[in-house]
Amino acid sequence: MGVRRRSGSFILQVNPILCDGFGHCGELAPELVTMDEWGYPIITAEPTPYNDARVHESARYAERGCPRQALRIRRVSD
Amino acid sequence: MIALTTPYLWYTTRATGLVALILFTAVVSLGTLVANRIGGTTVGRFEINELHRSLSMVAVVFLVIHIVTTILDSYVSTGILSAFIPMTSAYKRLAVAFGAVAFDLILAVWISSLLKLRIKNSSWRFIHWFSWIAVSTAIVHGYLSGTDARKGIGLAVVVACTAVTLAAAVWRFFGRPTRAAGRTALSPLAQSVASVSTTPSPQRSGTSRPSTQRPTNKPFASSQRPNTKRGR
Repeated sequence: MGVRRRSGSFILQVNPILCDGFGHCGELAPELVTMDEWGYPIITAEPTPYNDARVHESARYAERGCPRQALRIRRVSD
Repeated sequence: MIALTTPYLWYTTRATGLVALILFTAVVSLGTLVANRIGGTTVGRFEINELHRSLSMVAVVFLVIHIVTTILDSYVSTGILSAFIPMTSAYKRLAVAFGAVAFDLILAVWISSLLKLRIKNSSWRFIHWFSWIAVSTAIVHGYLSGTDARKGIGLAVVVACTAVTLAAAVWRFFGRPTRAAGRTALSPLAQSVASVSTTPSPQRSGTSRPSTQRPTNKPFASSQRPNTKRGR
């Protein structure tokens, strides 16, 4: 089981129109998401390298687990 | 057609039908829990959502076994067409028709959920509402066609599923979901939040606690927040 190396970084993006404050992303990816006092996510603006496999996996779970499909993982060029 | 005359196919049909009814009731109830945003520190909201997804897969497997054994069994003359198209079964035409409607709707809900990341969320939600009709017709199908549904444990299961589904529907309609302010449960995937090198830095300063602070389980000012129903 080798570690898959991927270059580049990603950010987790929330679509504020779709977001309905279910709070699943805060549970699934607490490395990237904090909750504001109304239950909406505040997502870190810093890109995370894909090599950070644990955080990437959390982000993928958050993307998949969002009941409103408001999250997308977007690659940022650097 | 292949003449499969063993009674065990028929027993399998009856048993898996009953189990599938229980499972789909559980799936709908869990979906209601997700929609009403139940979950906190003991059981996370995402865990209920994951259970909802996983259990729906199990339920679909039982449903497929139920349908395949019905088609294969030569005791009842229900073909593969009757599984999809209502009113085509010679055996218990109306009862099997309800089952076909339920199966079609469940297929639609299932496939749209598999494609969830690829279709519009509003479309997925619209299709997902039909799971209520699906489980209702499934209960009617179970009562009308079920060999075991008129007495004993079978009747108890049908009555219990009806009661649970009705309760879930009432709760879904009148429920006032709460927001997930503050930390609820943490995913087991992300246990070492504190040790992660890239600590989250909020885009907006001042609205969140410092990232070095250990997350508390206490909801943030939950009593002061008005409960809003699906609006923002």
